Amino acid sequence: MMKTITKIKNSKALVTLVWVLGLLVIWEIFAFIIQATKRTPENIMPHVWQIFYSLIDPKPVSNGMSCLQVVLFNAGQTLSRAGQGFMIGTLIGFALAILMKLSHIVEKIAAPYLMLIQLIPILGMAPIILAMTHDIGSSRIIIAAILTFYPVATNTLAGLNSVEKQKYELMYSYAAKKSTVYFKMLIPSCIPYFFTGLKIAAPMAITASILVDTLQGDGGLGCMLSQSLKHAMSIYVFWDIVVFSAVIGVLSCSLMGWIENAVSPLKRIERKTKKKKEAA
Amino acid sequence: MIKKRKSLWRRLRENKVAQGVSSVLLPVLFGVLILALWQGQILHKIFNTDTNTLPLPSRICHIIIDNIPAFAQNALYTLLVAVIGLVIGSIIGYLIAVFAATFQKWGKGGLTIVGAFNAIPIVALAPVMTNWTKDISNDPNIRSMFAKTLVVMIVCIASMSINAFRGLTELKPFALDLMKSYAAKKSTVFFKLRLPNSVPYVFTALRVSVPISIISAVVSEYFAEYIVGVGREIRENIVLGQYPTAWAYIVVACLIGLVMYGVLMLVESIVLKNRKVK
Repeated sequence: MMKTITKIKNSKALVTLVWVLGLLVIWEIFAFIIQATKRTPENIMPHVWQIFYSLIDPKPVSNGMSCLQVVLFNAGQTLSRAGQGFMIGTLIGFALAILMKLSHIVEKIAAPYLMLIQLIPILGMAPIILAMTHDIGSSRIIIAAILTFYPVATNTLAGLNSVEKQKYELMYSYAAKKSTVYFKMLIPSCIPYFFTGLKIAAPMAITASILVDTLQGDGGLGCMLSQSLKHAMSIYVFWDIVVFSAVIGVLSCSLMGWIENAVSPLKRIERKTKKKKEAA
Repeated sequence: MIKKRKSLWRRLRENKVAQGVSSVLLPVLFGVLILALWQGQILHKIFNTDTNTLPLPSRICHIIIDNIPAFAQNALYTLLVAVIGLVIGSIIGYLIAVFAATFQKWGKGGLTIVGAFNAIPIVALAPVMTNWTKDISNDPNIRSMFAKTLVVMIVCIASMSINAFRGLTELKPFALDLMKSYAAKKSTVFFKLRLPNSVPYVFTALRVSVPISIISAVVSEYFAEYIVGVGREIRENIVLGQYPTAWAYIVVACLIGLVMYGVLMLVESIVLKNRKVK
């Protein structure tokens, strides 16, 4: 039994691995074609190994820092702001969802605006928020928070509204207080939805933070990205940042998945039943 | 028997007409309140800004009305990028989902990869696409359009393929068994069962994709070569310090989003007329 399970697991990882390798091969084929036909192939499509080599290359590219140092140093700046905005946005989003559940009036006022807010190009508004706050750090936080807030709010609200009528009836039969209903029933059952919202929001917060960086010249991944594109430093910095932000985006999404696995009571029950099944 | 009279509040809550009226009236009132605060420059005091960075709504309206041709042209380009990218991306996404549903073992792994593409920031994608499409045409407008459309397309593929895959595989219980008992061919199962089952999921995906397509069109315009489009105008006007014009373009971008969303809702209500929408 155990053997077959590990076999299935292995094959699943294998499938993903094959896909990744396939994509790499396609990339490399094009990279070779471009290398043969273009004067500056590294601007269009460098080889994968060239990108990775640039990461370990100790040759300084700017201010005596190597590519990797540049990327990591600026990533710290960008990601910490994205993280702060993400936290604030999550808190506000969750609070709003609970408020909307508590009060019909708040729900009625907020519901159409929650739909409308996702049609506003917040990322397009980045320069204006920068002009309003005069500080790139706080505008990063604000934009990341706004972008985080609505997926969290809408998904959490969907979770709160998904609770079956029977559960309410059960709670009624216990003569449960309102606070008990919320803490024992509504909030636990909205957690999977809440995490779906977080998974959508996490890459968005990072995108927002990087985009705000490109607007002003004082550090951050986006700033380095645009400088490298203008050939103020090695073009490989650009490729490193592209790869890095892609990896961080994917990681941020799976990080939320891991946190959910660790925190969510539903997942804990799932694991328990799985263990029991395996033991049986 | 003493019948306790329900309070006014309670009666209002149970009255359907009152509920319907209030669900329209309350948000409208809220919107009017915000606009009034804005026009009355109270918002400016709260955010500690001046009327240049946060221009009055009346000023924004004036700017749009005075420059309708320029606004219409830029809006048209952005709309074109968003719509073409959305349509092509959704079709490709659906085809990927069909592929994944037919060859489930390999398809699921592929979907994980597609989902990972979704997490790549648009900011990283847009300049890469601009680089790749340098040789498409000698006209910078055409090659910029191509690059922007590619970005929107890639962003839309992911949400469509993941949702459509769910629609193609999460069938009603026993539906597949019924098809088997009919000895239905694979193609019949696909066209009579899987395809119709996936339609509501397609609309779920589109509801996510429509706002994203506009945002990615706007952002990819930032990095495009050719200066055109709502997003680019926002940025150019900010660089020039013309905040009111930039705000006007933001309003236009919102309007584009509203129109596209409205059209989607209309189509959805027609197509899903005979179904119970979850």
